[in-house]
Amino acid sequence: MPTLNIYKSIFIPITILLLFTALFFLNSYPNVSTILGGIALFLIGMEYMEVGFKAFSSGALESILKKFTNTTPKAIFTGFLSTAIVQSSSLISVITISFLSAELMGLSSAIGVIFGSNIGTTATSWLVSLFGLQIKISHYAMPMIVVGIFLPLFSKSNSWRGISSVFIGLGIIFLGISYMKEGFETLKNGIDLAQYAIAGYAGVFMYVLVGAIATVVIQSSSATMAIIITALATGQIDYTNALALAIGANVGTTVTAILGALQANENGKRLAVAHFIFNILTGLLAIAFIYQLTQLVDYLAQYIAIKEDDYTLKLALFHTIFNVVGVVFVAPFIALLVEFLNKLFVPKGIDKGKSKYLDSSALVLPSTALVAIVMETKHLYSNGFDIISRGLNLKKKNILSDVTLERVIEDQYTYKAIDIDDFYQYWIKGLYGEIIDFATKAQASMPPEYIEELYKLKLANKDIVEAIKDTKHLQKNIFKYTVSKNNYIKEQYNDIRKGLVNLFRTIEQIKISQEDDEIVILLSKAKIESKRYDILSNGTLDRLIRHNLISNQMATSLMNDSDYAYNISQKLINMAEVIFIDINSDLKKLSQDLTITEEEINKHIKEYS
Amino acid sequence: MSVKKFIKQIKKTLGIDDFEKKSKKKALKLLLKKLKNRQETLKKTPQKKLSIKEKKALSEEQKIITLQIKKAKNILEH
Repeated sequence: MPTLNIYKSIFIPITILLLFTALFFLNSYPNVSTILGGIALFLIGMEYMEVGFKAFSSGALESILKKFTNTTPKAIFTGFLSTAIVQSSSLISVITISFLSAELMGLSSAIGVIFGSNIGTTATSWLVSLFGLQIKISHYAMPMIVVGIFLPLFSKSNSWRGISSVFIGLGIIFLGISYMKEGFETLKNGIDLAQYAIAGYAGVFMYVLVGAIATVVIQSSSATMAIIITALATGQIDYTNALALAIGANVGTTVTAILGALQANENGKRLAVAHFIFNILTGLLAIAFIYQLTQLVDYLAQYIAIKEDDYTLKLALFHTIFNVVGVVFVAPFIALLVEFLNKLFVPKGIDKGKSKYLDSSALVLPSTALVAIVMETKHLYSNGFDIISRGLNLKKKNILSDVTLERVIEDQYTYKAIDIDDFYQYWIKGLYGEIIDFATKAQASMPPEYIEELYKLKLANKDIVEAIKDTKHLQKNIFKYTVSKNNYIKEQYNDIRKGLVNLFRTIEQIKISQEDDEIVILLSKAKIESKRYDILSNGTLDRLIRHNLISNQMATSLMNDSDYAYNISQKLINMAEVIFIDINSDLKKLSQDLTITEEEINKHIKEYS
Repeated sequence: MSVKKFIKQIKKTLGIDDFEKKSKKKALKLLLKKLKNRQETLKKTPQKKLSIKEKKALSEEQKIITLQIKKAKNILEH
């Protein structure tokens, strides 16, 4: 998540700056120093909490966010609850963006989660008001930190380490709040900030601005809220001004989101803008109706046993209410918002299915027409690669990296099969049609020596399309058997995936290689490797059936699917031979003569098995 | 005389057919040289530092190169 990244990159400098400033004021203004130290501790505590929850609950959190976000109300509620428990809207945003990118969640659901998360984040205000100020919180801080430090000694598991981080984080947060409170209390003896209270709408606007700036500087609305609540508790600020500051904190937090979105993909940008629009509208509503909302808070406070003069709890209630009111007002327009955001940020993928190189000017010369078709076929392959890797439940970035094959197959793309027909419709069908149409036009004025190459290119295109269709058949059982309890079948399907990852990597090497001899060797290797994964001919299937290691149904599936995998690899190798050997190179003339035969492949495999 | 036959005749007269064959032979010789160089480099790879898996991969690659060299030589001889 970009927001999180940007926050992470400035978290350490902000904390160090706060600590240095605290040291600077230590002698001249010890109370200011205590407040700044308290803020730094609060931020460090939040960081510990987030890391802890990530380790402790990310699996469960992901499942909850996947399952309970199919409708907008559900998404809002899930966003609210998960943020209130985890105490980190950044963590929820990270997961939401990753789900959105993997198409596991629609944009409207993601917006719902973010809206809910905004309400959930007000839980920090309640935490600070209820526990941070009502009880002597610092008494609990040290025992919590000590428990957190000792917990990992008893168990080294990730979950326990997470829980220990949460304990340490909470302890440090409590400590931070108590320092802030102490600082504001002693500050009151010297300077009374309350004398700067401004009445009326001028005060509201002024303090909204102060709250927003403070949040932009600290980069955490929770920390700003903690400062506001402790300052209010010690009487350093006026209640109405505190309400305006809370509105400002909500507005200020969107600046972080917008800054982060500058480096994000379309999904990140859409979500950041949705967050921005929501917070701005909510802020405007809260400013416009601040006095009515204050009356509503007073009215509701009676029913939840909040004393009339307990302004910190009233502030927490106000913070929650104006976020709820914001959701109630904006949620009905989510569909409109989605439409607007989709228009504002057109996904790159939408142009994937359109030709880039088939310009009619290239038809003038047969050589330029051929080059245009080669380039467009490479484009088609790139789209095909995207679809096939998704169909095999693999992440493209892993295939293209140098991580181990085991790691590539472990790091799954998604948890359920994608609709390959949909991808085919958008990324392949139109483009393939355009290439064939262009090739037909080019052929009309092409001399015979070019036509053979053109024919091969048409076949290469057909190979890509057929490899995608084979992946569609293969996909169903990949998803079924890679999570099977039968380790033998699981291993076979993972071997199929590994084999195809190997092939993609070899093709990538061929793509960038400048040396003829290297290309010849890589092509031979690819052919040998693909034959090695053909379990029909290497006896693996016979062994599994003979020893009753897999059921009959599994055997049939494996037989068909290994055939599909073998076909995919053969088609991709044929395609690579045509499009990745430079049309003007010497190797183009020789590749056919040097092709390794079926007999030679079998002999080689026999020797090395 | 048909157009095809006419072009064939012209090519024969100008020796273009031979030229194509010659350029193919030249390319093949160059490739053969590169393959032999690669074979020599691989032979010099210190085996001691390699794992069993890497040794197997190296041996397989050498085998493939030998096969390609044999193929190239065969084409050149005929």
